Amino acid sequence: MAHLCLFSLLVLSMVLETQALTPTHHLTTTDVARLQAVLSQPFTDLKSAYYSVVGLSKLGILVADADETCQFIKSNLDPSSVESLFYAAEASQALSGCEIPVSNDTRDLLLATVSEDSTASQIHQSVSALSSLGLPLASQEVVSALKARISKEDNVLTIILALQTASRLSQQAELGDILEEIEDLAARLDDLSGVYLQFEEGLETTALFVSAAYALSDHVDMEPPLKEDQVIQLVNSIFSKKSWDSLSEAFSVASAAESLSNNRFHVPVIVSAQGPAAISHSQPFLRLQVTDVLCQPLSSASVLVESASTSSSKSAILSQAPFTLRDEVFELNFMASQPASGYYQFSVAIAGDSRFVANHVELKVKVSTRVAINNMDLSVVDKDQSTGPKTTRVEYPTKAKAPFMADSHQNFAMAFQLVDETTGVELTPHQTFVRLHNQKTGQEVVFVAEPDSKNLYKFELDTTERKTEFDSISGTYALYLMMGDATLENPILWNVADVVLKFLDEEAPSTIQAKTLYTPKPEIQHLFREPEKKPPTVVSNAFTALVLSPFLLLLILWVKLGANISNFTLSPSTFLFHIGHAAMLGLMYVYWTHLNMFQTMKYLAIIGSLTFLAGNRMLAQKAVKRIAAEQSSRLAKYRSLR
Amino acid sequence: MLLPFQRGPFRGRTSVSLTLISRFVEEYRSSTPNKLKVIDAYLLYILLTGVFQFLYCVLVGTFPFNSFLSGFIACVGSFILAVCLRIQINPQNKRDFLTVSPERAFADFLFAHTVLHLVVVNFVG
Repeated sequence: MAHLCLFSLLVLSMVLETQALTPTHHLTTTDVARLQAVLSQPFTDLKSAYYSVVGLSKLGILVADADETCQFIKSNLDPSSVESLFYAAEASQALSGCEIPVSNDTRDLLLATVSEDSTASQIHQSVSALSSLGLPLASQEVVSALKARISKEDNVLTIILALQTASRLSQQAELGDILEEIEDLAARLDDLSGVYLQFEEGLETTALFVSAAYALSDHVDMEPPLKEDQVIQLVNSIFSKKSWDSLSEAFSVASAAESLSNNRFHVPVIVSAQGPAAISHSQPFLRLQVTDVLCQPLSSASVLVESASTSSSKSAILSQAPFTLRDEVFELNFMASQPASGYYQFSVAIAGDSRFVANHVELKVKVSTRVAINNMDLSVVDKDQSTGPKTTRVEYPTKAKAPFMADSHQNFAMAFQLVDETTGVELTPHQTFVRLHNQKTGQEVVFVAEPDSKNLYKFELDTTERKTEFDSISGTYALYLMMGDATLENPILWNVADVVLKFLDEEAPSTIQAKTLYTPKPEIQHLFREPEKKPPTVVSNAFTALVLSPFLLLLILWVKLGANISNFTLSPSTFLFHIGHAAMLGLMYVYWTHLNMFQTMKYLAIIGSLTFLAGNRMLAQKAVKRIAAEQSSRLAKYRSLR
Repeated sequence: MLLPFQRGPFRGRTSVSLTLISRFVEEYRSSTPNKLKVIDAYLLYILLTGVFQFLYCVLVGTFPFNSFLSGFIACVGSFILAVCLRIQINPQNKRDFLTVSPERAFADFLFAHTVLHLVVVNFVG
């Protein structure tokens, strides 16, 4: 059981690893320009100046008016605030030739902030300020302060700031514990459907994590414990947002982009086709742009097609073909291998640097071609085939000179071949239609032309068979051939000939009305159910009398038999029983005329129970009397026998 | 060859059946108790009522059908119940109905009739 689990886990991991991720979201050049524009907005205070200046420097852009900015920073600096000192120090570091004057008090303030009691943000700011201003600091103290801070506040932002701070410390300090935090933080990332990886705190935190992790990893020269797929998922998360809410968010994205393109370990590669990935004879080159996340082209890369195969057959057309670099674009002349038109699956590998991540890309490339129509033969064939068919050949794009006649005894037939213009290979486009258009009535009928096994297209029109489609309207029809496909560069609409059709049983040709969908429809008169015919009243009355007549007969018979009520005992139960019984019968009549079942059941329950009790009593008395009578008669018989 | 005292096979079927009927009627008149005769008269009445209703339907038509059905079912049901009563009351069947006294049979008859009437009146419309 354990072996099976292990084996399945191994297989699963292999399967997952073979499906390497490629970035689905990345910054395009317009996005980078937009980011730059956001960061270049005129700044109002020291904080926004910091974001702008340092952000732009991460994008590799120098600020214009460096002196003016420097003056702005110096004038807005508040030497008693650690935060202000941090912004000023970092910004001035990014500008060339900008020095912030530092006093002893400033230095003491900054050094004093480095303790366990300050927040992680304060520690980060003071350490960064000290480092940027070139002041000495005690790295080991910082490390212990950071560790204490992390153990007190375990939230994500604290740890990220700790990582950033650690990257500014001396390499001799013991940064191992803080380095391990990268792995713990990475475990806290949320995986969204295998595509995105981000913190629940948001985009900014994720971007700051990336820049901090890589800054520290570069500083200690140890590869961060992030797998390739995780790096790509982080790229997807950070660069999925193309307009940023705040300056700090834009800054975090810029610094993440910079660290992902410039670190020593992982450089995600973005491969995109220039324009649509479509090749034809007029455009035989497949052009790919290979850049890093900041849209800077990777000139050191070498791009190779590992295999190119058709989507259906999976047989490789190309194998191990290199792209050539021209003007920072990699191109390959695919048409040189003379592929047939259709869709191809390309597997491209980018090599050249061991840091490249996501350097295997799958692309779908379309090869289009031009189609030519060959051997278009139009003929009118007699149904009984008494005379041979008269075939006329028409060349594209001319029209047949004489119109063709077809009446009920003849069939009209069309045969043609579709070939690739350059290679002469037979093609079967998706849409091959034959359209017949009646010029007088405006009616048009469209048929599909189908290829046979030898890829020869045939179309036959039997006037008797198809007369319903034509509404039996005879006349001159213009015959068009329509052809189209996604891989065809020249879709065709060709008026081939005119066909005069004669139908039997022609109705008067009516002009085609536009479909009256939205006009009111004729009103439907509802026919109520007519009451059934009743027989005349005389008949009904006669039969009623007839049906009731046997009752008279019954009474007569009973009288004749001598039925009597001599055994009627005068006791209250008897009276009650008879009254109750009569009441029940009366209730039946009332039920028939006025009541419903529920009311009847209610009354019946009351009357019925009374009748039952009375009847029970009465019958019991009768039974007693009967048994007594029987016994006395038996006794008398016995006595007489003796 | 026919012997003198033997009777031929086709000696008047009708007269045989006539003899049978007269024998039956005689037996009935003499040996059936009066109570049962009363019930038999009632049965005849029910039968005739049902027949006349059916006749109407055949001659005139089945409208309204539910009324015809309920009337006819009433006759059929009453006939059956009366037959049951007759069987249970008959002293010759006493051995088969040891637990059922005539009074009990009559009480059952009344109860079943109540249910039948309820159904019939519901359906007659």
